[in-house]
Amino acid sequence: MRRSDLPDDVRLECDVLVVGGGSAGSTAAIEAAEGLPPGRVILLEKAHIRRSGAIAIGMDGLNNAIVPGFATPEQYVREITMANDGIVDQRLLWNYAINAWPMIQQLDRWGVKFQKTVSGGFDVRKVHHKGAYVLPMPEGHDLKRILAREIRRREVRVVNRVMASRVLVRDGRAVGIAGVDTRTGAFATIRAKSVILACGASGRLGLPASGYLFGTYENPANAGDGYSMAFHAGAELSNIECFQINPLIKDYNGPACAYVTGPLGGHTVNAKGRRFLESDYWSGQMMLEFWRELHGPDGPVYLKLDHLAPETIREIEGVLHRTERPSRGRFHEGRGNSYADAPVEMHVSEIGLCSGHSASGVRIDERGATTVPGLFAAGDMASVPHNYLLGALVYGKIAAAHAVEHALGSEQPTEDVEAEGAERERVLSPLDREGGLPPHQVEYKIRRLVNDYLQPPKTEVRLRTGLEHFQRLREDVLHLEARDPHGLMRALEVGFILDCAEFAARSSLERKESRWGLYHYRLDHPDPDPEWFVHLSLRKGEGGAVEFEKRPVDHSMVQLSEEELSTYSRLRIPREA
Amino acid sequence: MDPDQRESIKSRQGATVSAQGDRTFDVPVVVDRDLCRTGCHVCVDSCPVDCLEIDPVRGKARMAHDECWYCLACELDCPRDAIVVRIPYLVR
Repeated sequence: MRRSDLPDDVRLECDVLVVGGGSAGSTAAIEAAEGLPPGRVILLEKAHIRRSGAIAIGMDGLNNAIVPGFATPEQYVREITMANDGIVDQRLLWNYAINAWPMIQQLDRWGVKFQKTVSGGFDVRKVHHKGAYVLPMPEGHDLKRILAREIRRREVRVVNRVMASRVLVRDGRAVGIAGVDTRTGAFATIRAKSVILACGASGRLGLPASGYLFGTYENPANAGDGYSMAFHAGAELSNIECFQINPLIKDYNGPACAYVTGPLGGHTVNAKGRRFLESDYWSGQMMLEFWRELHGPDGPVYLKLDHLAPETIREIEGVLHRTERPSRGRFHEGRGNSYADAPVEMHVSEIGLCSGHSASGVRIDERGATTVPGLFAAGDMASVPHNYLLGALVYGKIAAAHAVEHALGSEQPTEDVEAEGAERERVLSPLDREGGLPPHQVEYKIRRLVNDYLQPPKTEVRLRTGLEHFQRLREDVLHLEARDPHGLMRALEVGFILDCAEFAARSSLERKESRWGLYHYRLDHPDPDPEWFVHLSLRKGEGGAVEFEKRPVDHSMVQLSEEELSTYSRLRIPREA
Repeated sequence: MDPDQRESIKSRQGATVSAQGDRTFDVPVVVDRDLCRTGCHVCVDSCPVDCLEIDPVRGKARMAHDECWYCLACELDCPRDAIVVRIPYLVR
């Protein structure tokens, strides 16, 4: 296929445009449609909203539910401030915490089935270090279908299989997006008064140990699109050096699910069968202890379930093999493993960027607004630490309410012929390059280099070497070839992945201390430095170069003692003499 | 190498090129062509990474790109139970 074969451009306009139909984007579209006339909300999705985003196949529970009687917003803010080494914007956590319970009730009314006790109350479990926040959804495989039904009911205009490539910006304000139809190759522009980015994690950054490009921890459709688009729109990104690294079932690369197995008695052990962690709740410190054990004399690490009763194991399998990553059972079967017979080998994931699990994201305030007027962000790509699924649903709704408010006070933007024409050229040009570089090869090379140079522990020389490689690869991106619309999608993603690799390298170089356990473990600056008790903001400066700024951390909402702040540095169970 | 042998390898290569069109490789998404219904494209719509397509000649679903997340969306959504997703060889 060549450019001359392409159909006409697609041109749409609306009041609120939501980019990404996963968890955050779905609740954003639902909320925005409540506040606007029918048809004035467009939900754009690279895949199909029925099966898209991090929970395409559902989710087995809410990891951070704040249910009255079990936890309070104040307690939650305290817990996450501790779990994230103090570097949090407490206003963001607070606004999540007070809106979490109303969202759970909303989901309950929509028919999401939560685990309840015999008396009908929510059956909350404890996995975190201090409080109880885990609310199982044993039938959570229906969640995406339920959200899609609510979207349909509100007459949201859903545009599937169109991928955004850039946010259109005029006079410093977001006025829509450009993109491409990944089936027909048609160039698309959607003008809008407010734009909400809900594009998920940067999940195709590191290369999985298996070497299979799409065998990632995150849904591989989430290639860091949102991080890159927000940067090019001029928005600030926050604490990108706080990588996402997760414990997982080795090779399968899916979650080991401390949240499912922990409350039922499962836990991690080393090769000697001994526990080494006080708490399996995910934090950078927990990952550092996990990583040390993995590579130490008592490694590797296993998920131990074989001491549990057969009915408990069946209950665990009933959840893990049906929801979120249901092919896990098939993987174990192929290897001849069973939870009942022996502990299952675990490993750590490749690196990624994801606020949902750690803290690296596009900087937003408590209204979901980025630093660019008219541009909002929510979900895994927005800077609310440890936000998980419920945080995505909550902030999708918060961002949408403010995006509607912004839209009602704004004029409909007019066409920007020059900017849209330039983006059209950039997006479609891979179709004209006969004999160019195949996107999957360039992607493999970037991601292999991410593993070689960015994977913690980090050092200045390694990070600088990685950065030099990424700068050289910029030239290769200009020679990518696409043979069809699918190839155009992959070529655009290569650009997003390379941007995220560069942000990750530069941010890691900039923060000259160690912080968040393994996530930002610098061998050449091995300790936390009080001078660096700040947020590190990254943005596009004059001439396109990356600029940094330190932003103060404010703990005035919930103050913690030194003792509390260092809680998560005492996760290791002391070795027996 | 013996020139005769080289000739025979070349002629065999020529024969296998056209034969490859029908060979089944070890790909993650396995479609039972007898069960798969012509005209249906539920699996192609479901795939989060868009790695499936309808074979224009046979009218049945098949894997177009080796980019599977082994998420099972296609298998779970297929109204005819015509799909089995295998864990990709490198991961298996």
